[in-house]
Amino acid sequence: MKTILLVEDEFGIAGALSVLLEDEGYRVFTAANGRDALDRLGEVTPDLVVTDFMMPLMDGAALGRTLRSDPARRHIPILMMSAVSESALRDRFDGYDGFLRKPFPIPQFFDAIHAILKDGPS
Amino acid sequence: MTEPRNDLSLMRVPSGIAGLDRVLSGGFLRGGVYIVQGVPGAGKTILANQMCFNHVARGGRAVYVTLLAESHARMLQHLGAMSFYDEGAIPDRLYYVSAFKMLEDDGLKGLLDMLRREIRGQRASLVVLDGLVAAEETAPSDREFKKFIHEVQMHAAMNDCTTLLLTSGGTGRVSPEHTMVDGLIELDDRVVDVRTERSLLVRKFRGSASLRGRHAFRITGNGLVVFPRIEAAFATPSRPDHATHERVASGVDGLDEVLDGGFFRASTTVLFGPTGTGKTTAGLQFLASAREDDPGLLFGFYETPDRLRVKAESLGIDLAGLEARGAVDIVWQAQGENLLDELGYRLLDAVERRGARRLFVDGLGAIVESTADPQRMSRFVAALSNELRVRGVTTLYTLESSTILGPALEVPIRGISSLAECLIALRHVEVEATTRRVLSILKVRNSGFDPALREFEITGRGMRLVGPFRGYERILSGYAHSPDRDGHSPAVPPSPQRPSRRE
Repeated sequence: MKTILLVEDEFGIAGALSVLLEDEGYRVFTAANGRDALDRLGEVTPDLVVTDFMMPLMDGAALGRTLRSDPARRHIPILMMSAVSESALRDRFDGYDGFLRKPFPIPQFFDAIHAILKDGPS
Repeated sequence: MTEPRNDLSLMRVPSGIAGLDRVLSGGFLRGGVYIVQGVPGAGKTILANQMCFNHVARGGRAVYVTLLAESHARMLQHLGAMSFYDEGAIPDRLYYVSAFKMLEDDGLKGLLDMLRREIRGQRASLVVLDGLVAAEETAPSDREFKKFIHEVQMHAAMNDCTTLLLTSGGTGRVSPEHTMVDGLIELDDRVVDVRTERSLLVRKFRGSASLRGRHAFRITGNGLVVFPRIEAAFATPSRPDHATHERVASGVDGLDEVLDGGFFRASTTVLFGPTGTGKTTAGLQFLASAREDDPGLLFGFYETPDRLRVKAESLGIDLAGLEARGAVDIVWQAQGENLLDELGYRLLDAVERRGARRLFVDGLGAIVESTADPQRMSRFVAALSNELRVRGVTTLYTLESSTILGPALEVPIRGISSLAECLIALRHVEVEATTRRVLSILKVRNSGFDPALREFEITGRGMRLVGPFRGYERILSGYAHSPDRDGHSPAVPPSPQRPSRRE
């Protein structure tokens, strides 16, 4: 079973997406911001990090840069999500593997995940 | 020279929202904490976002923190249609975060820590906390919640960061935190008969004057547009009054003689009477004398500009030509669901834009109809008329009375006499089974006038006074009576050639 770390400050979105991912067969850990996510990464090495961009304390771009600069974690693919355009994100961080502009339909969310995790949840 | 720190004009953070900064005497105070309270849908989120975008457009930095509110993506989608929205401002100058998880996990302390860090981390000069009610519900006691508000105030003041706390709740609700914050603004969306009307009320504004009372607002494609109540905004006219003996021609043949020379310049005249008596015709004649250097404005509700041009043409007035030369401007709006103060500002703006000196408002009845608070009308008209006077505008209002024939002229505005320098009544009179028209001057302030009742006619050249209405009495009852009914024929002037029924 593949593991996804979902980093999202918006409580409702985090809850909805984690349930969908679990229903799809993924093991899901959640964090409410980049700093929280780094704590989680001390406990688990996920197959994918799905992260929002704008979050308190540490944003998704800072989280991405931290992961890419860490030899032990730089291989973890990152799917970015944001309510703002991709260009706003790129100015801060461009080392991600996929981008979703919020709000997005659920099939688009899974398409993006499956495009990165090519063999699905198992 | 360094300006003193206690100069409040330097410490303002304008909302950039049309009308709101006027209500707030220039804007919020820098570093202050303000509660914006209102029922769901009242416009709190748009107000706060609009202020954020306006703030960052002026060079500030803002953070928008949500608790239990709509998702940021949906919020930004909705805001995307508004003219103030600038995606380029996000996330560098305007940053959206949710703090609900922190509130859930760590309570008010977690929320406060997050606010403090975001204010400093984003170097924010404006913070919005959307969903204060969620923080209130999390507080273990009223005392803890008040302590939280107090600490927010400390951080806001120390960081010079103006803070808006948005919370739901009906107007008039008083909470302990209201006593602590620097200001409280209530947004309301009340149902009046079958329509709704939004309004804003500044309940408290510490350290500065504000325009008291309710002010109507709309939510438009430009965001909120607030219309400070005319009576409050122009309680004192915007400039000194310069009364004059100068007269302005009425444009109605024979009327200036009766008025001892015409209307006073920069005065208010109300022409009232029932439908079909020639009020609009007289107004068009008043405007016909407008020139490029003495321009006129027609502010109308009833007949569309096209119909007014046709009507004017039938009276021998080239209204389209006057418009083309810049001598007359027409501002027309359907009666619809207007806001009283919105109309007031539209009128004043049009006067200012065109430098209008002659104003014909057709008519006051439509303005009365637009208000949800008819009891305001006399104060509204008084303030508006005072402002028009100091701007040197000679105003002619029409006002329709509901009775067509009869002893009483019902006027839908209380105290109309005190609001105008000149009152003119137009009546239908039944004489020997024929309807004729009569004009009576009821009042001209500070001037003599001919009190005789005048019969008038409306022909292809407009309204014209044809002479005193002799030989009858009780004319103003609507049913003229000849005192010599059983004797000789009364000395009635021959009825003028029956006018065409132009009106």
